[in-house]
Amino acid sequence: MTTQTAPRTEPAAGRPARPSRWSRMRRSGSGMALLFVAPYLLLFLVFRILPTLAGMALSLAKYQITGILEWRGLDNFQRLFTDDLFWNALRVTAVYTVIAVPLTLVVALAMAQLSARSIRGIRVYRALYFLPVITSLVTSGVIWQWLYAEHGPLNGLFGLLGIGPVPWLSSGAAVLPSLSLLSVWTRFGYDMLILLAGLLAIPQEYSEAAMLDGASAWQRFWHITLPQLKPAMFFVVILEIVQSFQVFDVIYVMTGGGPVRSSYSLVFFVYDQGFHYFDFGYASAAGVVLFAITLIVSLVQRRLFRED
Amino acid sequence: MDRVARKSRRNRRRLWAHLPLAIVAVATIIPFYVMIVLSLRKGRSLSLPDALLPFHVNFGAYADVLAHAQVVRWMLNTAAYSVISVVLVLVFASFAAYAFAKKRFFGRNAMFWTLLATLMVPYHLTLIPQFILISKMDGLDTLWGLIVPTLANTQALFLMRQFIMGIPDELIEAARIDGAGEIRLFWQIVLPQTKPILATLGVFVFLWHWNDFLWPLVATRSPDHYVLTVGLNSLQAQDSSLTVTMAGAVLTFLPILLVYVLLQRYFVRGVTMSGLK
Repeated sequence: MTTQTAPRTEPAAGRPARPSRWSRMRRSGSGMALLFVAPYLLLFLVFRILPTLAGMALSLAKYQITGILEWRGLDNFQRLFTDDLFWNALRVTAVYTVIAVPLTLVVALAMAQLSARSIRGIRVYRALYFLPVITSLVTSGVIWQWLYAEHGPLNGLFGLLGIGPVPWLSSGAAVLPSLSLLSVWTRFGYDMLILLAGLLAIPQEYSEAAMLDGASAWQRFWHITLPQLKPAMFFVVILEIVQSFQVFDVIYVMTGGGPVRSSYSLVFFVYDQGFHYFDFGYASAAGVVLFAITLIVSLVQRRLFRED
Repeated sequence: MDRVARKSRRNRRRLWAHLPLAIVAVATIIPFYVMIVLSLRKGRSLSLPDALLPFHVNFGAYADVLAHAQVVRWMLNTAAYSVISVVLVLVFASFAAYAFAKKRFFGRNAMFWTLLATLMVPYHLTLIPQFILISKMDGLDTLWGLIVPTLANTQALFLMRQFIMGIPDELIEAARIDGAGEIRLFWQIVLPQTKPILATLGVFVFLWHWNDFLWPLVATRSPDHYVLTVGLNSLQAQDSSLTVTMAGAVLTFLPILLVYVLLQRYFVRGVTMSGLK
């Protein structure tokens, strides 16, 4: 950011003592550079910075669809913290995250480990695992809703095993585990690829040396692979937690927050308050809470992962 | 142990490694199988196991869903939303990335840190102000209203910048000494070098837009302006028959699958790059 000033040691012979401000700017291409950034920056200011600030401001106000804005201070937050629906949304989101994230990561890590070997057809496997990642969550939701239907294939299979119909999406106790299972399906392929890239970057020599020293496969994994994989793990864990906290599409498509609000997540709360009740200020306050949680999660994790 | 024995033991071990890989692969594929088979089950019993056996193929559900007045429109809307966005995101991001990577200008670092910081802001906090803004600009239910708010893509800018920083300064200096103007320099020297990253980002931005749901859900009102994800959701909410909904699901998925099959290595590169930057 510091503008370049000509160093004193520069041979000054035959040159004007000090170039004018304008020509210095031209030489460093500053004006031109601003032209290159301008279109992006304009869009960024209007559609990213402005809405971020406006979202924070709205959380302190009551804003009607008619366009009347009244400042309310911290009223919205006060209301949030005494609103059972909001606490329910927080709880739903946290429970979903606690189930879905470890499950997805374990599957992703296991599959990365398995598919790190160079065996025949390994590319085909990897390509198949990635298919759910590229599928829209709406499409996934439509399919899985039927998989989970009362007379759907999963219950058909369980019926053969003599297990009575499981109320996958229709009972409050089962709905979050069911959605977590779907999340494993949609996300493990992505995490697997990142972890796989991390695994393949670990030099073989460590493992070979440990093997000569008689370390078991489990010891090698625990003491050599996992520490080396830390940066990739860090990225994947943050990504998964942030994404889980923002779960929306599948809930909108599959359960509508039900049954009886047992899948009513935080972003669903934001959407519902904003676009169903048009309570924009209140919805924005919940958005600010989501922001705060995201921030805290990544700060805590940064600290945890840095400690050795 | 002689070499032949060791080799055959290793082969057997490799064969065993296929088992868990194959089981997970089958589990991954089953939902797609269910989707396709159901979409072909028009006018037949949907009771198990008959519903999932691949006999009696009937494309009636596809005829129905395509005859549904709006499905073709949704496809065109989605294609327009995705393709136009990809082109514009890449243009704006590469312009800005070039300046951030190779030029010094006033406020560069401050701007860069601001960009970095906003990555932490959840999209959902900005959703409502964005909606209000676009509605004040009379952009609801229009193609531009859908596209414009998505164009300042910070991830794309970062990855482009990273890549352009790797282009040697000497190359740019040499072209400048040869008398290339700034625009020509960018267009003929820098941009051709960035083809691999442009392709990777292009594929990803396409994927994001094709599958995008929340913003199109709030930014469109009339079914004529829906994109496929929103349309598919409305199909299922209207209680269209299951086979027709599944045919719609297949049609939503098919273009992405096609892009994936053709450009698979770019998907893989995009994921690993975002993970290891």
